[in-house]
Amino acid sequence: MDDRSRCSDDASSLCGDSESVTVYTHNDEEEMNAFVAAAEEATGVSSDVLRMSSEEGWSRVDAEYPHVGADLQWGTLHSFALIAEEQDMLVSYDSPAWDDVPDEFKDPNGQWYGWSYWFNMVAVNEDLLESEGLDRPESWEDLLDPQYAGEIVMPDPGTSGTAFLFVSTMFQLLGEEEGWEYFDQLHDNVAQYVQSHSAPVQMVAQGEYAIGISWDQAVLDRIDEGYPIDYIIPEEGVGYDLDVVFMFEGTENQEAAEKIIDFIGSDEGMEVAAEHRSMVTKPGIGEDDQEFDFIDYDAVWAAENRDRIMEEWQERY
Amino acid sequence: MAGKQQTSTVNSVSKMGAGFKVAAFIIAACLLLFILIPVLAVLLRSIGIGSGQGLTLEFYTRFFTTSNHLEALTNSVSAGLISTSVILIISIPFALYVTRTPRSPISRVYRGIGLLPLVAPPFIFALSLIILFGRNGVVSNVMNDWFGLELSIYGFWGVVIAQVLGYFPIAYMMIESSLRSVNPSLEHASQDLGATQGRTIFSITLPIAGTAILKAGLLVFVMALADFSNPLIIGGGTPFLASSAYLQVIGQQNLEMAAVLGVFLIIPSLLVFLFQTYILKDHETASINNSTENNPLNPVVKAVVVFISTLMAIFIVVMFTMVVLSAFVQIIGVNNTFTLDHFSDTTGWGYIWNSVIVSFFAALIAAGLGILQGYFTVRKNMAAKKLMEFIALFGLAVPGTVMGIGYVLIFNGPPFFLTGTVLLLVMNMAFRKIGVGLESGISQLQQLDSSMEEASADLGSGPVGTFRKVVLPLLTPAFMSGFVYTFMTAMVSVSSVIFLIAPGTNLAAVYILNLADQAAIGRASAMSFILIVIVILCMGLIKFIERRANTSA
Repeated sequence: MDDRSRCSDDASSLCGDSESVTVYTHNDEEEMNAFVAAAEEATGVSSDVLRMSSEEGWSRVDAEYPHVGADLQWGTLHSFALIAEEQDMLVSYDSPAWDDVPDEFKDPNGQWYGWSYWFNMVAVNEDLLESEGLDRPESWEDLLDPQYAGEIVMPDPGTSGTAFLFVSTMFQLLGEEEGWEYFDQLHDNVAQYVQSHSAPVQMVAQGEYAIGISWDQAVLDRIDEGYPIDYIIPEEGVGYDLDVVFMFEGTENQEAAEKIIDFIGSDEGMEVAAEHRSMVTKPGIGEDDQEFDFIDYDAVWAAENRDRIMEEWQERY
Repeated sequence: MAGKQQTSTVNSVSKMGAGFKVAAFIIAACLLLFILIPVLAVLLRSIGIGSGQGLTLEFYTRFFTTSNHLEALTNSVSAGLISTSVILIISIPFALYVTRTPRSPISRVYRGIGLLPLVAPPFIFALSLIILFGRNGVVSNVMNDWFGLELSIYGFWGVVIAQVLGYFPIAYMMIESSLRSVNPSLEHASQDLGATQGRTIFSITLPIAGTAILKAGLLVFVMALADFSNPLIIGGGTPFLASSAYLQVIGQQNLEMAAVLGVFLIIPSLLVFLFQTYILKDHETASINNSTENNPLNPVVKAVVVFISTLMAIFIVVMFTMVVLSAFVQIIGVNNTFTLDHFSDTTGWGYIWNSVIVSFFAALIAAGLGILQGYFTVRKNMAAKKLMEFIALFGLAVPGTVMGIGYVLIFNGPPFFLTGTVLLLVMNMAFRKIGVGLESGISQLQQLDSSMEEASADLGSGPVGTFRKVVLPLLTPAFMSGFVYTFMTAMVSVSSVIFLIAPGTNLAAVYILNLADQAAIGRASAMSFILIVIVILCMGLIKFIERRANTSA
């Protein structure tokens, strides 16, 4: 019992003796279950996962540091990796498995690695558009049309990284003043700000609302499942963000955590990821034929301005 | 009652043995650490102490200048008032019906239905309300097709209805037991003097049961005020105190503002608690007479109470049915093909296991320590026993959200760094409910004469030996009731533990809330279904063991 790890003082069976890591993630349960199972099979390292929305996860990490309650963050916003790196919260690790991944997707010091990227996408319920006599929106600007009043659902940027990506995209597109004007007007059409990033698509799929703002895979999965919905990439373009993995300073399972990072970067790991994501960062894996209109999203800007924007957001809406 | 209690306590209070002293000290330390200190931490944090800023009223100023927070306060208070009134209006006739037709099998079924919501997570009705009355709900579509009405349950009224359904059994249980004990001869007298039964009920029966009704109303109001999960699922962004406090913590790590919201949650609870413990206590108007049966109802009164009870019973059953149905079909109302997909969630099964383990140990601790403390309180001369009793009972009254925030403040660093451990979850659940074990222990001991213990002591047993061999067996029923109550509430509780879960220690009820939050209604229903079945099975098992033990003894 001289091991003073957190596991040893919680007299329970929940901590195994084989190699395991504790993980915070913002990935959906379904994707994460598949990912964790594949990682355990390949490396023998099992993962205990707690899913929280990205903003929720970040504020927890921020509050817990230097005693972060997990070894790894396996999936969160690129911006949070940048903030965490600046605040010296992360451990460097030079993983050979990531050699083939282009430099733009990983930190030069090995503090964070990006395995996939994801982007904003709008889901529309076609049946509902028709029965309500609504036009199909084609742009972000279209969403301000009063005909959509009470028909739009979006996640709350206070809890959801997907929503924050959307908000900071609009600021980067329109500039700050016009950005606020945009959200003031959109606010009149928004029926609900929900906590979770995938709830808007789910609600649109279940026919509760006509339009939901979310991210690519949440929409594409529901389309695959046969719901009467379609996706829209607004004309102005969408923001995209890198999904990253990193290790927290103070981890007691560094070796196991490194194995997980190696796995995510391996061909095998990337292939599992590609089953759940539109795009992964390793060349030659997954479908590369999709072309979407991306804006030149600036994650550094988003990281630097996040607190200020969110404070104003809370006051306004 | 009071007189009897006096005599038995006076001559039986005895000195504490060394083993007991240690135990009493441990209980006292735990009560302070796991109930009082976290609550104090919230109070202090709300005035800036502990945040590094020093004493300030800045956060209160900010509360009163933020329209969102003020709205949360008015919403929570008015939702609480409305749902409490509705619950009382329904539960009184419901209880009348059940108590006045004890032989009717239907009334026994109604009784079971009335208590059914206790075994489900507190937000299950928000889920079924969305299934039925959401924008694409089963009922909403019919209304839309037939009358062109656009229903949307999201918002204030959705929360109120969900609260009415969820907290109904609490009021119903309390009112039912007091109506049972109304002496029928009083009603006979009233009716012999020419009053109709309707008039008799209003001017004799209900006033007699008045204290219990008032207590029930207060308790329901406090619970509704502290309601956390319904606003989150069905509130549609309408602010409420407990959910706003939660979002302040998890979204913004603004513990100061969360603490202020917590203070507004705790003030009414504290007032109600003080009122109940010190003012209502002596007003227990007992004209208790269990030997005769309650008066049967005349046809008119019966028609009224049956009508109201039936509506409520049907409503509850429909709500549960919706959850069960939506667990077994693709998406209820959209694609009604049968499927078992929602049950193939292996993570969910793991969380259910965690819940069972945590709830089991929490119930063991709550019932065990609660009764031990009850023993010290009644029979031993323990220092500060009144204060400790107060703290334990106060733990029952503290809103879960406040307790959760307090735990975050206290246990997230040295000297008691327990965040992320299973131990913290167990302690949280145990000490929020230890008052139940304590109360049932005290009331049981007051009914037992201390002569047996004295006899045991005279024959040479030490105090610990006496406790083990004489007192413990007599306290088994009290232990069971504390255990069952804590286990059941722990299995479905969310508001406090949601702040404390960590990788590997997630709990089923929290996970269901998470699923509901992602609008994954099917999977949320499936998990709720499993949880309800497990809670009912566990209760059945406990009842079975209890019966076996009773018959063999």
